[in-house]
Amino acid sequence: MIWLEGVSYLRSGSPALGDVTLGVSRGELVVVQGSTGSGKSSLLAVAAGVRAPDSGAVWIADHNIAGLQASSLPYVRRNVGYLSSEPLLIPDETVLENIMLALAVRGQPIDSAEADARETLAMVADSAWENRQARSLSSGQQRLVALARALVGPPPLVVVDEPASGMGADEREGIVRALVWARDRGCAVLCATSDPSFAQMVVEAGGRRVDLEGGRIVGAPAIGLVPRPVDFTSDSASQVQNAESAEVIRLSERRSSGEESS
Amino acid sequence: MTLAWIIRRARRQTTATRRALLAAAGSFLVLGLVGGVTILGLRATRGWMNTVGQGVHVIAFLREDLEPDQAAQLVELLQRRPGVARVRLIDPAEALERLRTAARTVPTAGSWLTDLEPGYFPRSVEVSLTPSADLSQRAAELSRRLQGLPSVAGVDAMTEGVARLAAWVRFGQRLGWAVVVAASIAAFSLLVSAVLRGREARRRQAQVLVILGETAGNIRLPANIALAAAGLTGTLAALVVLRLAWPMLLTAVERALGIAPAPVGHFLGLWEAAAGLLVAPLLGWVLGYLSTPVPGWVDA
Repeated sequence: MIWLEGVSYLRSGSPALGDVTLGVSRGELVVVQGSTGSGKSSLLAVAAGVRAPDSGAVWIADHNIAGLQASSLPYVRRNVGYLSSEPLLIPDETVLENIMLALAVRGQPIDSAEADARETLAMVADSAWENRQARSLSSGQQRLVALARALVGPPPLVVVDEPASGMGADEREGIVRALVWARDRGCAVLCATSDPSFAQMVVEAGGRRVDLEGGRIVGAPAIGLVPRPVDFTSDSASQVQNAESAEVIRLSERRSSGEESS
Repeated sequence: MTLAWIIRRARRQTTATRRALLAAAGSFLVLGLVGGVTILGLRATRGWMNTVGQGVHVIAFLREDLEPDQAAQLVELLQRRPGVARVRLIDPAEALERLRTAARTVPTAGSWLTDLEPGYFPRSVEVSLTPSADLSQRAAELSRRLQGLPSVAGVDAMTEGVARLAAWVRFGQRLGWAVVVAASIAAFSLLVSAVLRGREARRRQAQVLVILGETAGNIRLPANIALAAAGLTGTLAALVVLRLAWPMLLTAVERALGIAPAPVGHFLGLWEAAAGLLVAPLLGWVLGYLSTPVPGWVDA
């Protein structure tokens, strides 16, 4: 589903990510754990297609988005549910409208978008908030609403940065449940946290943990992912929308098949 | 985003920023009024000049015993003079009709004109000179020469009066232009400030929508639509106000000046109104576009 290949990223001139390779397949939940400043947010922003890597490739559904034109990027991003480190909401809009916007961009009819948004809000936060203006919520509540917006649909790829930051025990459990819910619906879920206990909760829920230090993955798991061969002659924008069609092959499977053939 | 969503977004954005949009529509109203009054004012002053001056600089009243052939010869001679643009022979009936037309614009004018006969008026020759800086001197020179002719009973050099009127009209026009420029700057500043007031909110909204995967065109569309609608509304309101108020204002000014109504239309032409109704929404659309900064990559 997503494959970051040798990704490097400079932030304010200094390296935030150095030669990071990481993959998340459909129906997989990966938690990236690292201390503050380890490059988690940069990694997730690059994975979500909101920041361009300085080098390397970011494969989402057969396409290296690092090489896409700016005009094609929206067609990639609308297939990614992204919660940034700062939950970006439209402050003058209601909670429900903020969540619905993710579905609006995907062209879902208004009525069904409203129903889906309500359902996701009830799952992640509190349905009583739906008519409140986003600006009236606390920062923790805003984070939950932004998480609901990332999960609504759900999109093929979910990328969430510090979803449990500043949350209580109940909320953290609820967040893990929501991430598992997305994974069980076939999403590739990439989550980042600086909280080892939250990372452990994700692992216990069936997630795979990746540690990040100084912009590099340490103790990388033997399992990685590679995309299938890419047809460069195809129309990128329309195909990327159909991200469900992406196939990923586990590197280990490839290796094993390579061993068998040799 | 589908059309239904775009309409929904535009409606919600209009509700959320209704004060700024009202201010924008008000600015377009003022701009429309300024533009309309400028066009109509220029047209009216030109009409007044034509009505009052008729473009005539010297009038020579002919002797009653002058034969028509001799009058025609005089006209021909004057037409050959360098610097003479036009010469017209006015018969007594036309002179009386002009007087009656002018009197109709003065409410206090009595009915005494109805008893007048054309015979009371002498024939006259109206001479229009080609415009130049020394028009007054040339008109005075021509007046002196005409006074010396035996066929001429009297000469009225209109130059001074017309020149004075022209000077006042020019002063009025300059003053008008100053007012137009000042009002335009004020209205445009108000429009820009109204648009800029919502810029930060639109920038934030754009940032959210970019992350969600909306295209730049669709992100800008609600602001484009809202400001174009503000432009259309303001301009329509300006046209209605002008349609109702301008004829009354013009009539009041003409009465105050005691001049005949200008022989021009009292309102903007269809094409002028259509141009306003097209340009204002277009300007609103462009302002909506410029006021919504959409980042390519997001620093989120």
